Amino acid sequence: MTTTELSALRQDALREIGNIGLGGAVTALSDMTGVLFTLEVPEVLELNTTQVHFVFPPEESLMVGTVARVEGDWRGEGAFLFPWESAQVLWRILTGTAPADLSELNELYESVIREVANIMLGNFLTAITQMTQFELHMEPPAFAADMAAALLSSLMVEALHDQRELIAIETRFSVPDQHFEGLFFYLPETGSLQKLFEAVGI
Amino acid sequence: MLQVVRTEVQLAGMGEIKVARGAGVLGCIGLGSCVGVLLYDPVAAAAALAHVMLPEPNGADPNATPGKYATTALPALLELLGTPYASQRKAILIGGAEVFQNRQNTLRIGARNVEKLHELLQARRIPIVFEDTGGHHGRSFEFDLASGQLTLRKVGEPPQVRNLSHALSMLAKAG
Repeated sequence: MTTTELSALRQDALREIGNIGLGGAVTALSDMTGVLFTLEVPEVLELNTTQVHFVFPPEESLMVGTVARVEGDWRGEGAFLFPWESAQVLWRILTGTAPADLSELNELYESVIREVANIMLGNFLTAITQMTQFELHMEPPAFAADMAAALLSSLMVEALHDQRELIAIETRFSVPDQHFEGLFFYLPETGSLQKLFEAVGI
Repeated sequence: MLQVVRTEVQLAGMGEIKVARGAGVLGCIGLGSCVGVLLYDPVAAAAALAHVMLPEPNGADPNATPGKYATTALPALLELLGTPYASQRKAILIGGAEVFQNRQNTLRIGARNVEKLHELLQARRIPIVFEDTGGHHGRSFEFDLASGQLTLRKVGEPPQVRNLSHALSMLAKAG
């Protein structure tokens, strides 16, 4: 299934589902941090070619990311990605301090980001569950801090592994005055999209 | 100066293949689980680079480019370099990391890409003169055909510069 095969109605539905799901996730992040985040309208991306256009140039810039496998009625991968400077904002808010560079990154900082992802993805899935009555559960998020392109390409390749083409729901959230930007991807398995559309009745 | 050099770099994006003859710079940016496999032909002074994403197709893949899979990339690189000097070719292998750590049920795509390329290169008796694969870090690299200089970058580390002209030409005489 590609976006060209996805009807306009279904693309709108995916955007709306992404919006509601991430609304829940970002509300949870706001509760955690006391900061109000702005949510962009989700995009539905088609990744059926080998060319992946990276959303966060420069491609070699340092990025912090998490990914967690989602099992159940809407299988896929949920990933949150933050440019290094944005991760530093999160660390400062949540721990009062932040690693200056990669050499200062330790397990504590990693677990903070993992926990942020855990809570956000958990709330994303709760919102989806309320909409669809799906049963969903997630693995603990895995962590990485690396070149933006290395993180994104690894995620894409993994998602493409079992299928020829891929639909991704992408949303950005930001804090206008704080140079904070976050990126969320949900990469559903192709087969599980049909299930989602049936659940919401389209 | 650096910018002038960079504009000449032919970057192979995901699934792409780039070729340089006589002179030129080939490279890949942000390799995670993907592998950059470069074949160098010392007699023709030509190099071809593929940015491999997966070891092999899982069923039919009508959208695939030759560079996408290890099994299709290597024959494509050999064909681009032509057949006459096949026995003297050398390989450079970079990438194949697992950047997300502590994953459950990992697909090991990086490791499997590297394993498949080893198998394919060995079957064709193509020696690997430089390899930096595996681990948990993404990589970028550039190979300068004229000088044999390889520049390898990882985040948080100073760039590694290696001159491979000796390794490449020395093995060329032996081959």
